[in-house]
Amino acid sequence: MKRLLVFLQAGLVLALTTGCVNTELMADIDPSADLVGLDTFYVAKFEPDDRGIEALIAAELNAMGKTATSGVDPKPPSPVDAVVTYQDKWMWDITMYMIELTVDLRDPETNYKFATGRSYRTSLARKSPEEMIQEVLGEVFKGESTGVVK
Amino acid sequence: MRLLKLFCSSLLLVTIAGCAVGNEYDYQSASVSLPLTGSGELGVGVVDNRSYVLSGDKTPDFIGLQRGGFGNPFDVMTASGNSLTQDMSTSLSDALRDSGYNVSSLSISSADPAAIKSAVAANGVLKNIVLTVTEWKTDIYMDMTLHFDLLLEVLSGQGDTIASNKMQGEQKLGGAGMEKQNASTAAAAFETKIGRLFNDPKIIDALHN
Repeated sequence: MKRLLVFLQAGLVLALTTGCVNTELMADIDPSADLVGLDTFYVAKFEPDDRGIEALIAAELNAMGKTATSGVDPKPPSPVDAVVTYQDKWMWDITMYMIELTVDLRDPETNYKFATGRSYRTSLARKSPEEMIQEVLGEVFKGESTGVVK
Repeated sequence: MRLLKLFCSSLLLVTIAGCAVGNEYDYQSASVSLPLTGSGELGVGVVDNRSYVLSGDKTPDFIGLQRGGFGNPFDVMTASGNSLTQDMSTSLSDALRDSGYNVSSLSISSADPAAIKSAVAANGVLKNIVLTVTEWKTDIYMDMTLHFDLLLEVLSGQGDTIASNKMQGEQKLGGAGMEKQNASTAAAAFETKIGRLFNDPKIIDALHN
């Protein structure tokens, strides 16, 4: 009887704690999209974001050798190859942390989303916003060739 | 002993049903962006051709399954209470309006080509978009999988096919989350699939010419 109770408690603890470690990293690219040809980007601020994630994304793109600017206007101030939009979601667990980041690459003319990347990390697998951005953009541009669908 | 029984039965109940019951997703507000701009009149219709809906096994507002702790399935429905095709039609029409078209709704009773042709002819618009949904459902247990089979057609005013693009398959969308996260993942998948269906030179040419 006692053994059963211990077994149940252990199972419950395991179920509850492993639930805190969940990660997802994925990218989905339109097979006809040519990411190699993209050099200039404008990162449009996600309206609810007050942490300056748009500037961090632009900084990471620049670090990757691209030319990127960011701003609050949804439209780029000057012509670019792609507009970057994103959504960041945050959770509280002792401190606030970014639980999910989705980054989309869009056609500046039509707003068509031709590439998207997403990272999801629960509390015990949390990373800084900079690292989340780096892994999402890394996944999107991993193939950096035409027709890569992951 | 009684306490243990109570604990076990509660745990079992939570494990089986958990957050799986009563889930709803909103496809109506999906923000689809199409890879084209244009102008003029377009008739738009979305037809439900899902076998389990046609047979009456599921209602038209059925959009997927959310599984409980033992894989036991619970139906996921549209948040609007409308049929899936009605929600998709709203979203698709909004997207085409954003792309510059004047959109009118086609009232199509079935996926039968004759029914589609007659609905198109009755609407009297020179160019028409018809999306036939032979499969669209998400299935969520540990992961979220999308099952899809979509046919997009550009039809003339007489209901003849000018261009078409088909997409079908199964795609893992990611790990299972809570209802809100799953709903937003499902809507994002819909946005992507519709955009990709339109991003075909045949479809774009047919709409432009």
